[in-house]
Amino acid sequence: MVNRIGLTMGDPAGIGPEVICKALKDMSAAERAATLVIADPVFMARASALVGADLDFVTTDAAVEAGKVADGGVPLLPVEANNRDAILPGQLSADAGEVGCRIIKTAVELALAKKIDVICTAALNKTAIRMAGYALNGHAGLLSHFTGVKKCYAVLACPQLSVIHVTTHVALSKAAGLCRTELILDTIRAAHRHVLTTGVARPRVAVAAINPHAGEAGLYGTEDQEQVVPAVEAACAEGILATGPIPGDVVFEQAIDGKFDIVVAQFHDQGHIPAKLIGRHETVNITAGLPILRTSVDQGTAFDIAWKGVARPGNMKAAIAMARRMRPV
Amino acid sequence: MPTSKSADPILLTMGEPAGVGPEVAVRAFQMLGGTINGRPLKLIGDPDVFVSCGAPREAVIATKARATRVPGKPDRANAAATIEAIASAVSLAMKGQAAALVTAPINKHVLMETGFAFPGHTDFLQALTGAPRAVMMLASEVIRVVPLTVHIPIAKVPGSISIASIVETAEITLAALKRDFGIAAPRLAVAGLNPHAGEDGDIGREEIDVLRPAIAALQAKGHTVIGPLPSDTMFHGEARTRYDVALCMYHDQALIPIKTLSFWDGVNVTLGLPIVRTSPDHGTAFEIAGTGKADPRSMVAAVRMAAAMADARAR
Repeated sequence: MVNRIGLTMGDPAGIGPEVICKALKDMSAAERAATLVIADPVFMARASALVGADLDFVTTDAAVEAGKVADGGVPLLPVEANNRDAILPGQLSADAGEVGCRIIKTAVELALAKKIDVICTAALNKTAIRMAGYALNGHAGLLSHFTGVKKCYAVLACPQLSVIHVTTHVALSKAAGLCRTELILDTIRAAHRHVLTTGVARPRVAVAAINPHAGEAGLYGTEDQEQVVPAVEAACAEGILATGPIPGDVVFEQAIDGKFDIVVAQFHDQGHIPAKLIGRHETVNITAGLPILRTSVDQGTAFDIAWKGVARPGNMKAAIAMARRMRPV
Repeated sequence: MPTSKSADPILLTMGEPAGVGPEVAVRAFQMLGGTINGRPLKLIGDPDVFVSCGAPREAVIATKARATRVPGKPDRANAAATIEAIASAVSLAMKGQAAALVTAPINKHVLMETGFAFPGHTDFLQALTGAPRAVMMLASEVIRVVPLTVHIPIAKVPGSISIASIVETAEITLAALKRDFGIAAPRLAVAGLNPHAGEDGDIGREEIDVLRPAIAALQAKGHTVIGPLPSDTMFHGEARTRYDVALCMYHDQALIPIKTLSFWDGVNVTLGLPIVRTSPDHGTAFEIAGTGKADPRSMVAAVRMAAAMADARAR
């Protein structure tokens, strides 16, 4: 069975429309048919012309089954901007943020109704989201809000390494205190479920240590013994193949070497440094812990180069490829 | 007539006899043919320990204290020889009779049981040489990183960094890159403490309150310093062309990138000492000692780097 992915346009002032069109241009007819672009059709047509993709967007209802579009056509569910003229290339605007958020809302509804299997998102701009009246932090905030989930987890994935994070965008001085047994255990569970969606039957989950050398028997801190060990034990008791705490300077290499399917990192940079270094442009974002599946580019709106036709589609293609591999479990 | 400085030997200390140290030292000695850049390599420690690992006896500078090697089984009776090997090597280097030290790993728990008061090599070498402050750098062919804080709990890191410690560590590092690495105008990048380097104060204030003033102070002294940079985007190849060394705020921030890029050939270098000292960036690995599985690449890289540093100093 081919899964159907919903591809969201992102902020129309950014590079989203053009990288999507470049990715669509290189898709087979069957892949296009298994894709639903959720976007403003005017911006998509402009982007298609800009990149010389000559795409045949077929405005459609989400219920249209894969295969019903003409050969090579791209199914598109229109979500139109309220004021297109106020949206200019590379310019921050409330209108661009608003349509970007409305597209996400639509995509979530389709995914919850199982009309699409996975959402794959182009970049939104956090400031534009706020200007549009949403007091939410980026995509993760929007997705949590629209699905009614309290906590979701950021995964970075590339072919060699997947990393999930206990904490992300908090100051390091606060992060250490947030890494407590309950949250670490919940992250291990989210890691386990995420790896299941990628088709691995028995996910092996490694848990990175909080302190250097996992605290070296208490010499460099007791948090690993007090917070991480009980979380790993509880996860194992639930039947999850969890291992840790493993020192941060050892665990990622072991995972890259094939010993683990995913690493639970405690802090943003602990996980982001190796994932971005090893995957480079192939590293994509996934949100775990939601009732729906979602992958994303690991890039911003890049207003400085938007609508010049120069944005490279490699990361968008990697996010789409990851979405194609995922299955609801 | 003093011997030519460019022919002074490089000393490889024995390290913990029960660990992988003696075997990787001997393997490195063999792989390099007992010499590097025209300098002889000498092993310093118990001769029988080295000979049991395949070393020629004449390559060994013997310690007075003796040690017995039982792989995987540390014995506190070996502590005296382990410590003497380091102290003698330092003494020879301080007297100008050796060009550099390459130290094989020791086990601090074993040594501390016998009353050894130092938590590791670096502190011991600092005391022996009378250096005011030593700085640890990890380096390979492709990356150099200095952790500002090292072996402390992550919760204590934000309170442990200061403008003064950043400036002092950066200056020791930059001076060493000039003197020991032959980089005429070294460039240093400071990693942010917080995610996205604090995002202008939204995710932590240390970048504004501590890092930026420290960077400004260094720049005012004429140093080439950039940052604070978000640490998740500063280590890829293109980004690394902008600096010669990265000053990181904590252990994992420095160790994770170098282990990801150079797992087998990372070298630990002590900066700020009057002598040249490097070591492989692995431990005693008791579980594989004596099995022949220990990989000598990091030790070989440590010897090569020590030789290059000694040459830079001799010029």
